This record gives sequence, C-alpha cells and structure tokens, in this order.
Amino acid sequence: MKNDTVLSGMRAGLPIMASYLALGIACGIVLYDAGFSVLAIFLMSALVYAGAAQFLAGSMVAFGAAVPSIILMVFFLNLRHILMSASISKYVKNKPMSFLGLFGHTLSDESFGINYSRFQGDDWTANEALITNLFNYSAWSLSTVLGGIIGSQFTINTLIMNYALIAMFICMMVMQFVSKAHIIAGIVSVVLSVLFTVVLKHNIALVIATVLASFVGYYLEKRSAEEGVKAND
Amino acid sequence: MTSDALILITGMAVVTFIPRFFPLLLLSKKEISPSFSRWMSFIPVSIFAALVASDVFFWEGSFSLQPIQNIKLIPSVLVLFVAYKTKSLLWSMITGVLAMALLYIFL
Repeated sequence: MKNDTVLSGMRAGLPIMASYLALGIACGIVLYDAGFSVLAIFLMSALVYAGAAQFLAGSMVAFGAAVPSIILMVFFLNLRHILMSASISKYVKNKPMSFLGLFGHTLSDESFGINYSRFQGDDWTANEALITNLFNYSAWSLSTVLGGIIGSQFTINTLIMNYALIAMFICMMVMQFVSKAHIIAGIVSVVLSVLFTVVLKHNIALVIATVLASFVGYYLEKRSAEEGVKAND
Repeated sequence: MTSDALILITGMAVVTFIPRFFPLLLLSKKEISPSFSRWMSFIPVSIFAALVASDVFFWEGSFSLQPIQNIKLIPSVLVLFVAYKTKSLLWSMITGVLAMALLYIFL
C-alpha cells in the first residue's frame, strides 16, 4: 500500500480518532464501573468494536442483566449495520475475502459515515477507506483501555459520559442531511422510533422506524423526480 | 477475567461481525439496482435519527419532553445547532458533554 494512501486514510480518520479518544475514555469508564477489568475492556474493544453495543453492555451488566439477553440486545442494536454494510458494499467490489473481513470487522457507525460521504465525492478508494477504519479501530481500542485505567483511579459520572455517544450520533445524522427528502426521512424516523419505542418497549422499534422512514424518503425523492420530469415536458 | 465476561465478549463479537460482514460479502459481488441504492441512501440518516430519538426523548425509561426533568433535551438542541454549523464530530461532542455537565451541576 502506498504511503499517500495511508496518509490520506489517516487524515480522514483524524476527527473521528479525536472523538473516539473522548468517547472511548467515556466507554472505558462506564465498563470499568460495571465491573469489567482493563484486560476485558481491551478484549471487548478489539473483538467487538462497537461503541453503542459496548455502552449498552456496560449499562446492562450494571443492572444485573443475564448474558444471553445482553447478547440478544447487542444483536438487535447491530442490525443497523446490515444496512450500512449493504450500502457501502458497492464501493469495495472485487476485493479479496481477507479485505472484506477486515473492512467488515472495522465498519463502525462513524467510519461508515465518513467513508460513505467520501465515496460519494470524487476520488476515495477502498484502500483509503480501510486505512481510515483501521486507524479509528486502533484509536477506539486504546481509548477504552485508557478509560478503564482512569475509571480504576477516579469516580466519574457515567450519565454525562454516556451522552458523548448521543452527541456524536446527532452530528452523524446532520452530516447525512444532503437533500430535503433526507431531512424529512430523519424527522419521520424520529417520530416513528419514539412512537414504536413507547408501544413496543423494545429496541426492535429502531429497526422498524429506520426501514419505514427510509421508504418514506425514497418515495418522496422518486415523486419529486417524476414531477421534475413532467415539468420539463 | 471471569468466564461470564469471556462468554459475553465472544457472543457480542459474533453478533456484531455477522451483520457487518455478510452483506458486504454477498452484495459486493453483484450489481445493485439504482433504485435499491437510492433507497439505501436513506438508511443512514434514518438510523442515526432513530438512535438519537430513542435516547434523547426518554428519561429513566419513559417519554419526557420536560427540559428540567429530561436534561438531555437542551444539550441535544445545542448539539444539533453546532453540528449543523460546524459538521464537526469533535465540536458536537464537546458541546454536548459540557452542556450536560453544566445542567447536571446546576439542576
């Protein structure tokens, strides 16, 4: 791999690495507080590498939830990655299995967000995207370990630490506001996920809301494109 | 490390890897129809909106729109504004955590 590929991949990852430093420390603190050792925190970050799932595991363990139900919740929480993985797949065509395995393992919400916008732009390559993923992955693993070490030394408020993740998701959402239809899809998703969460009291609400809202956005875009064609006739 | 922690981490690793890897593997070999990929362009915004809403509008498990009780509401409005202006993950996070910390201390 060429040096400038590594450099540009790293440069794209820098803002995320910086936020992972803060978020990872927060997550490490939450996990240590829930009873995970620093070694377990490192293993979880290296093998699982899913910020939201790791925060979730931390709070569920703290509530005394059973291992199978935590794994099931993580599974539901991660269903969203099917959609991300599917939508970014067109940019990593014809890559070997080992590439896809590594790319898949290091595909986080944030790496996806940044790579997806880069791919939509001009000259982003699959190799640069993988480098971005790997830098983010390393930053996350190291930061959570750092958080575990900090957590072992001081007492820190985990409610505030948990909010770091939400702030990040808000920003990722805003970065996807690329058209009026996309903004409407976001608003629809907000309303539906609140509604379904109240009714179903289950995380699956998020998946249902996401799928429905994406269809609303798609339909709106299609309709306005058709109207545009008619207006030109 | 306890065996429970190991089982938990292994299980989490499996259910995280599957949805990230298999769509990549199965779809990267084929052409995707334009309307399918147009539909998928609405997935990320919907996912993030759903993740945010299901957290921000709830306080201790129930729906709450009272900014004094649910102290996540005001920081979220601020973060939305900062994110829109700066498009920066880092600034959004700093704004959010600072606002949360201030509200937590003063309320």
